[in-house]
Amino acid sequence: MNCPRLKDWFEERYDLRGIRLLAREKLVPEHRYDLWYYTGGITLFLFILQFLTGMLMALYYVPHVKFAYESIIEIVTKLNMGWFFRSLHHWGAQLAIVFLFIHLFGTLLLKSYRKPREMVWVTGFILLGISIFFGLSGYLLLWDERAFAAVRVATGGAGAFPVIGGFIKAFLRGSIDVTGDTLLRFYAFHVAILPIVTLALIGLHILLVQFHGMSVPLSLEGEKRRDIPFFPNVFLKDLMIWLVVLGAVVTLAVLLPPEIGVQADPLAPPPENIKPEWYFLFMLETLKLFPGTILGFNGETIAILCVTAGILFFFLIPFLDRKSSRGEKSPLFTWIGVIYIVYFLVMTAMGFLS
Amino acid sequence: MKLKYSLITRRTFLNTLLFGWAAAFFSGTFYALMKFAFPTLGKEPDFVVLDKKAFKGLPQNSVKPFPWGGTVGLYLKKADGKVLALKGVCTHMECNVAYKPEERKFYCACHQGWFDENGVNIAGPPPKPLEVFEISEEGDKLIIARKGVKVELPKA
Repeated sequence: MNCPRLKDWFEERYDLRGIRLLAREKLVPEHRYDLWYYTGGITLFLFILQFLTGMLMALYYVPHVKFAYESIIEIVTKLNMGWFFRSLHHWGAQLAIVFLFIHLFGTLLLKSYRKPREMVWVTGFILLGISIFFGLSGYLLLWDERAFAAVRVATGGAGAFPVIGGFIKAFLRGSIDVTGDTLLRFYAFHVAILPIVTLALIGLHILLVQFHGMSVPLSLEGEKRRDIPFFPNVFLKDLMIWLVVLGAVVTLAVLLPPEIGVQADPLAPPPENIKPEWYFLFMLETLKLFPGTILGFNGETIAILCVTAGILFFFLIPFLDRKSSRGEKSPLFTWIGVIYIVYFLVMTAMGFLS
Repeated sequence: MKLKYSLITRRTFLNTLLFGWAAAFFSGTFYALMKFAFPTLGKEPDFVVLDKKAFKGLPQNSVKPFPWGGTVGLYLKKADGKVLALKGVCTHMECNVAYKPEERKFYCACHQGWFDENGVNIAGPPPKPLEVFEISEEGDKLIIARKGVKVELPKA
């Protein structure tokens, strides 16, 4: 496909040299850890997939407490391919969270967050938080009993936060309890507020990565290595991996369509063995470690404060790890990273098994 | 006394005016937006009025739920025939509790919390007992109220 006249038309109006130069000169280092570079791209691809399948379902979903559940049943039973797109949206979300965590842990262990890339870490971290909120708000939209209980617990947990807890809880619920108001609110978060913030942050995140170039792990910094061009080598590799991921998501979506529970009933108790989405399990297990009261204080509040402190420390790692920011090896923070990862994996596994 | 020189420059004055205006404008806008985004919260009811007939034939050692504001209340007829009304929401993380007749206990499935048949927390994470209501009757109405609340029914 070569359209010289179209090309001329653009070149007469826009100066495309800068872009062409950028495309030609963008290099990506090649080394034995360069597989980690692709985890971010995979996450990006899954987000694109989520936007597309989400737009499709928004055409039919009814965000009303009386019709929400019905409309999902309708999507999966009556619409052409409705079951497939809902299933795709479900599995795309699951894998997006998985790859976000892999991307995060890779960044953590390779210390790609170190100076000067702290802001890349910060934007990525906020994106992870948003993604988890995406997950929570998304599965309330099903309005089944599991979603209902999970959102009650999650917003109630936020309410245990000292001073501002009640405020946050009321804002999230839009009412004193989880009701139709909450459903509508979470719908607004899920389809309007979060997507636009996500778009802006992904843009910034990628722009920053572009600005800094790819980070090379500390241990390889002195070594001789080859830089390969992004266009077309790395780009094509990205596309190949995306195709594999698409295959995986489609396979999961076809073979394991997600179920939908019994419709939420504010007067009924939740089912036995109720469990939240897997990425909340580590939180659930952590909360279980704390008794109801500790030295006369509300155990819940103390638990929430401990979890918040843990997350805050994690968030601040690029600013606390002075050694790696000076370009020295920093084994202490490698160990801290490993502890976080092991804790997350063990608690998640315990949540599954208990 | 008249000053020979102005204490602030014209630029400072205009900047203060501009940024002061901007601060006032944006804080006002932000306040209005937040005011809209935050709901005017309803309140938990002080009492609810139910139909006595609906609760009459309840077998012993079983519960019947009733709406308590946006959440659930449970009307329990104990094994010895005494009745009790309590808020059916776990004091830990606000999941609804279920009554287990074979054990005569309330159970919360979210985090495995247990309450005895009087609503006292006995095992698991719940920090306090379930809220117990007062039951009274008036004609064919069953009135369930929070402890210490004076019930004033509207004159029909």
